[in-house]
Amino acid sequence: MELHQVRYFLAVASTLNFTRAAEMCNVTQPALTKGVQKLEQELGGELIYRERQLTHLTDLGKAVLPMLERALASTEAVRRRARQFQQKEVAPLTIGLAPSISASLVLEPIAEIRKFVPGLHVELREEPPSRLVELLLEGEINVALVGDLDDTPERIDDWALFAERYVAVLAPSHELADRPVIAMEALREATILDRSYCDVAPKFHRLFFPDAPPHHNHRSCRDLHLQHLAAAGFGIVLAPEHMPRLPSLKALPIEGDPVWREVRLLAVQGRRYSPALDAFVKVARLHDWSLHTGSPLQTKHHSHLEATGVSA
Amino acid sequence: MSDHLTRSLNQVRNELLAGLSDADRESYLFLVDWLRRTDVASHALQVGDTAPDFLLPDAHGRLHSSEHLRGEGPLVVSFYRGGWCPFCNAELRALQALKAEFDSLKANLVVLSPETRDLPRQLQRQLNLDLTMLADVDHGVAISYGVLFRVPDETKAHYAGQGYDFAHRHGSTEWMLPIPATFVIDQDGVVRGAFVEPDFTIRQEPSDILAELRQLAGPHAKDASASDE
Repeated sequence: MELHQVRYFLAVASTLNFTRAAEMCNVTQPALTKGVQKLEQELGGELIYRERQLTHLTDLGKAVLPMLERALASTEAVRRRARQFQQKEVAPLTIGLAPSISASLVLEPIAEIRKFVPGLHVELREEPPSRLVELLLEGEINVALVGDLDDTPERIDDWALFAERYVAVLAPSHELADRPVIAMEALREATILDRSYCDVAPKFHRLFFPDAPPHHNHRSCRDLHLQHLAAAGFGIVLAPEHMPRLPSLKALPIEGDPVWREVRLLAVQGRRYSPALDAFVKVARLHDWSLHTGSPLQTKHHSHLEATGVSA
Repeated sequence: MSDHLTRSLNQVRNELLAGLSDADRESYLFLVDWLRRTDVASHALQVGDTAPDFLLPDAHGRLHSSEHLRGEGPLVVSFYRGGWCPFCNAELRALQALKAEFDSLKANLVVLSPETRDLPRQLQRQLNLDLTMLADVDHGVAISYGVLFRVPDETKAHYAGQGYDFAHRHGSTEWMLPIPATFVIDQDGVVRGAFVEPDFTIRQEPSDILAELRQLAGPHAKDASASDE
């Protein structure tokens, strides 16, 4: 397929009008129609129902639209980058973080793209995951990192970055702190500090407290506050492994590593990527996240043997 | 390693083809025929075209700019399908075997994969590669070089049956792949060599790429010596 064919199709998809799409692409309508037809031949079916007053996408058109939007956004972002580099424009990038995601995770990717986008201006916003999705759709943030999602809303691209386990974070003076691992039974008896908006709380409740919710004496929406409480001996924080800890705390694995979650990257489908956003999404999808969790976890559910087979 | 210096990619190809199961052979013949019928390769950049620039992450999440890479010397851009393809892996090994020669010609060689996550890192470890492997995230470069196609349903069913999870590998549920292709790009960004072959089991011999690079260096070297006089 060719880039101009994709551009023509995306213009028709956004306007649902061949005349306006041709104007948008600065070509004649026959040229645009021919380009779309050629793309349809290659993709193996019609992308657009051409009905006089009711031009709309076919199922195939709907299926390939997000992919082609991303491919085009990816190529355009690089071209705009060259111009913006010369003009030294400010490149804003607003990253949303769920409360259970530490900013420490995004520092290396940001440092990497700052080398190529000199006007980079980063803003970090912490909000509960459902609010982050709203902010993405409203255009208030460009990208978000969240934990497990129940379901991904429409119009949101969603990439799993890595899986990580939850560990028990506690003061060295805590009665469970001298064990190599903490048994689930011991956790059931202990005071657990409650994290508001915790995305894995339902998993913990199902596993640890199937009959009744745990009794929490203390809670906060901020991990740092919870850590201060734990350091002062108020209880145990169940925290994602990547979360940086106060020096006065230690982290212990939970027996059998029963609770895992995936950290996911979200962006809005079909929206024009700025050069900074494009670079961030690309770097994030290739970053070695195991450096934050101490173990290569990304493909634990997938066979590594695929690469050695002989097939075509 | 010496094995790859003494055997041509064509010889390796013949051995791999001989090892295919009947189902794999049937799928291979179908896809090559489909690629030829739909004339996918006709969109690819040709000698004399300007190669679009790109900024892509490597297997470790570090960004590489094509402008910078071709600023240091000629740039060789090789598209491959992924770590699941034995023909691609044979090509990677062959390129690795001659990497020192690419270096001696001051040519930057990058291999572009549609795969994301930790798959490029795994492949580098598995094959013991120190090639620069870039992830063509969301196929943006493959489409701008004209080598991207959507995998036909018949092939998709075959690959899915083999357990190849492209949604996981590419981070996209749309099954797109590049036709393996090799482009030699000069320092001005102009394509000086283009090897695009719809039969994805046939790759450009690394020795032929080196010959193109030497030819490319020839006139420049003469120009340089002429200006010295």
